[in-house]
Amino acid sequence: MSLRAAARAYPALLRAGFASAVAYRAEFLIWMFSTNMPLIMLALWAAVARSGPVAGYTQLGFAAYYLCTLLVRLLTGSWVVWEMTMEIRQGTLALRLLRPIHPLLAYSAENLAAVPLRGVVALPVLSVLLWAARGQLGHDPLLWLMLWPALFGAWLLTFLVMALIGTLALYVESAASLFEAWLGVSAVLSGYLVPLDLFPQAVQRIALALPFRFLLSFPVELMLGKHSAGHALLLLGGQWLYVAAALVATTLVWRAGLRRYSAYGG
Amino acid sequence: MIEVERLHKSYFVHRREPGLRAALRSLWHRPREEVKAVDGVSFRVGAAERVGFLGPNGAGKTTTLKVLSGLLHPTSGHVSVAGHTPQDRSREFLQQITLVMGQKQQLLWDLPPSETFLLNRAIYDIPRPQYQETVAELTELLGLRGLMDKPTRQLSLGERMKCELAVALLHRPRILFLDEPTIGLDVTMQATVRSFVRAYNERFAATVLLTSHYMDDVAALCPRVLVIDRGRLIYDGSLDELVRRVRPDKRVLLKLSRPVDARDLQRIGVIVSHTDAQAVLQVSQSELQSAVQRVLAQLPIVDLTVEDPPLEEVMRELFERGVAEGAA
Amino acid sequence: MRRVLAIVRAQLRASVALALQYRLEFLVEGALAILWMAVTLVPVLVVFGTRGAVEGWTFPEMLLVLGWFVALKGVLEGAVSPSLTAVIEHVRKGTLDFVLLKPADAQLLVSVAKLEPWRVVDLAGAGLIFAYAFGKLGRTPDSGQVLAAAAMLVGALLVLYSIAILVVSIAFFAVRVDNLLYLFQSVFDVARWPSTIFRGFLAVLFTYVLPLALMTTYPALALLGRLRLGTALGALAGTVAFAAFARTVWSLSIRKYTSASS
Repeated sequence: MSLRAAARAYPALLRAGFASAVAYRAEFLIWMFSTNMPLIMLALWAAVARSGPVAGYTQLGFAAYYLCTLLVRLLTGSWVVWEMTMEIRQGTLALRLLRPIHPLLAYSAENLAAVPLRGVVALPVLSVLLWAARGQLGHDPLLWLMLWPALFGAWLLTFLVMALIGTLALYVESAASLFEAWLGVSAVLSGYLVPLDLFPQAVQRIALALPFRFLLSFPVELMLGKHSAGHALLLLGGQWLYVAAALVATTLVWRAGLRRYSAYGG
Repeated sequence: MIEVERLHKSYFVHRREPGLRAALRSLWHRPREEVKAVDGVSFRVGAAERVGFLGPNGAGKTTTLKVLSGLLHPTSGHVSVAGHTPQDRSREFLQQITLVMGQKQQLLWDLPPSETFLLNRAIYDIPRPQYQETVAELTELLGLRGLMDKPTRQLSLGERMKCELAVALLHRPRILFLDEPTIGLDVTMQATVRSFVRAYNERFAATVLLTSHYMDDVAALCPRVLVIDRGRLIYDGSLDELVRRVRPDKRVLLKLSRPVDARDLQRIGVIVSHTDAQAVLQVSQSELQSAVQRVLAQLPIVDLTVEDPPLEEVMRELFERGVAEGAA
Repeated sequence: MRRVLAIVRAQLRASVALALQYRLEFLVEGALAILWMAVTLVPVLVVFGTRGAVEGWTFPEMLLVLGWFVALKGVLEGAVSPSLTAVIEHVRKGTLDFVLLKPADAQLLVSVAKLEPWRVVDLAGAGLIFAYAFGKLGRTPDSGQVLAAAAMLVGALLVLYSIAILVVSIAFFAVRVDNLLYLFQSVFDVARWPSTIFRGFLAVLFTYVLPLALMTTYPALALLGRLRLGTALGALAGTVAFAAFARTVWSLSIRKYTSASS
């Protein structure tokens, strides 16, 4: 399949994906309400900061951090790993393979198409809340400009990692459990539970080098204006390096896995 | 054993037209429609009887079975099964009945049937000696040896149905409700199930109420049939009598020594099929004698037989015509 | 009662047999349970790296709350949720009829329908957390305190179970409750902090409307000997009332199910 054909088909796929996102709006709302961990963490840290700021975070500072975290999480979330493991187990992946478009592209369209709907629901509420903590947000317009590629990079990286682990279901039964483990480690090292700069120095150094940070913490850092424009640009480059690496790894594993799949049957 | 008097069961369904506007409208106004699944049905079934329940899809067979087993409350009417009111679902009542649904299964999918057996032993509180005896008996009657310890998901449809029957009969119920027990099974397996149900009925003097799409099931098992159509009972009696009443026509099968003209056949009866070597004619019972005489006199016959039309066709005829004369 | 025990034992047997079929998964799930326990501890470790106490709770005291949380979460995800997911599956496939035809209480049958035995890892982990916490506190709870904590724990389990039964009662009428169950599981995460952490609206919500925070806080306070008798009795009375309410809703739902469905 040529890239041009894929480019032509992509808008139609996006439209179909958006329609199904609208159709599954009840599930989507439930999922949104279930994403409450940042708020639970905020409750704890707000209680801690009642007796004075922690490493520069006041109560409002924590509020800003966790609300941004929630926003980024909602906008960059994906579900492709569960869909893939299910389709591989049930054998319905074969149906996708029959269509003249790369399944990973089709998955990506379906997942990407759900983002606007999430934005429509999540942005107004969280913006109002963030307005209360606006003093904590960054002022550098360059950082806000860089936020967009950073958000897209975070979404793409999330998607690719999920697709990579989902593809592993072609080899092993417990790919979903593997992802569960990734999720656990990622919760700690992506800044989902605790701002990375509250960790001890040694942990911080490790966390900043690993890809987890670019899934979540990095866009949040941009929103909170934690970096100079130059440093932020450097980090953005780092994020997209990880994206490129994930893209290559996913494509390779997919190709090898498919050979196996067609050799052994579904 | 089973008494049903003027049983009505109706329920409401919400109608929803397709489209966004209809969806919005249905938020505050939902049109309701009353569906009469069972509409004034009365019958009695005695102990150890085997009764077949016939009717097209949606006629109310399954609804009636569910009311009799206590799963559905009747809208009105009186129902008594083994002296109990089914919908009270008293323990004594439930201990005496069983329901087998050909389309649904109670066996645990990922575990061997023996696990479901043990579970039901606990639930029905079956004493160990009786349990062992029953299992041995069922194993022998159904040929379950080797099936009990394989995970259910690895069993074939027929093997699964045999285990379904066994697990449903562990507590030795006196009343069996069988809803399409042979659906999807191949011919030999259907025969196995039939002979098993008959054997169980004879050995334990159990009452059997059976619905089936396969007329052969009913013909082989049930001396008495109830025909239900659109919620109403339109026939109660023996199968032979039903066949006679619906279609007095007979079929005359002819083997021909040489080809004959279709017009010659038409003069005698309605042609069902016709080839060079044989022909099948349909003739009403009253004209049978003269028809046979004419056949022998006019046609080059090698062989001639007279028989009833296939049951499936009788039933199709019955429901198409909606024959209601002589309702019970 | 003998019969109830026999049923529970038989169901347990089947669940264990099922879990043992997938031995690798057994190990993997166990390992994951340990990982998530560690993840649960991380924020608390970070917090107490900066403070000696939060809202009057010291590190070991907070660990007691977390210990109860880990244990309850294990029960919720290992016993309550799987069973109720099984009920939803029954309703969807129409096989609930088989359950209703059994000469035993339907609520009992569905409540023990499925268990995930590897979740005992959570209970073991909770035990370790308690042991460490009391090591830090430098004392052991006396028998009265343990008894009080056990009573509060039974109450907490009852509330948890009742909420789940209420959710399942909805399953008879609205099909997509698996999502609701999932939502409830995630809201339960609130119970990891002591109730006094929450302020304002949230405090009212999690103390009175959805008493999640109390489920772990009261047993922890009981172990510390800080739970007043009046509070404890009040909480238990509320629990029993709530359980009775859930039971009533369940019975009504079953009746409606059998009188309405086709």
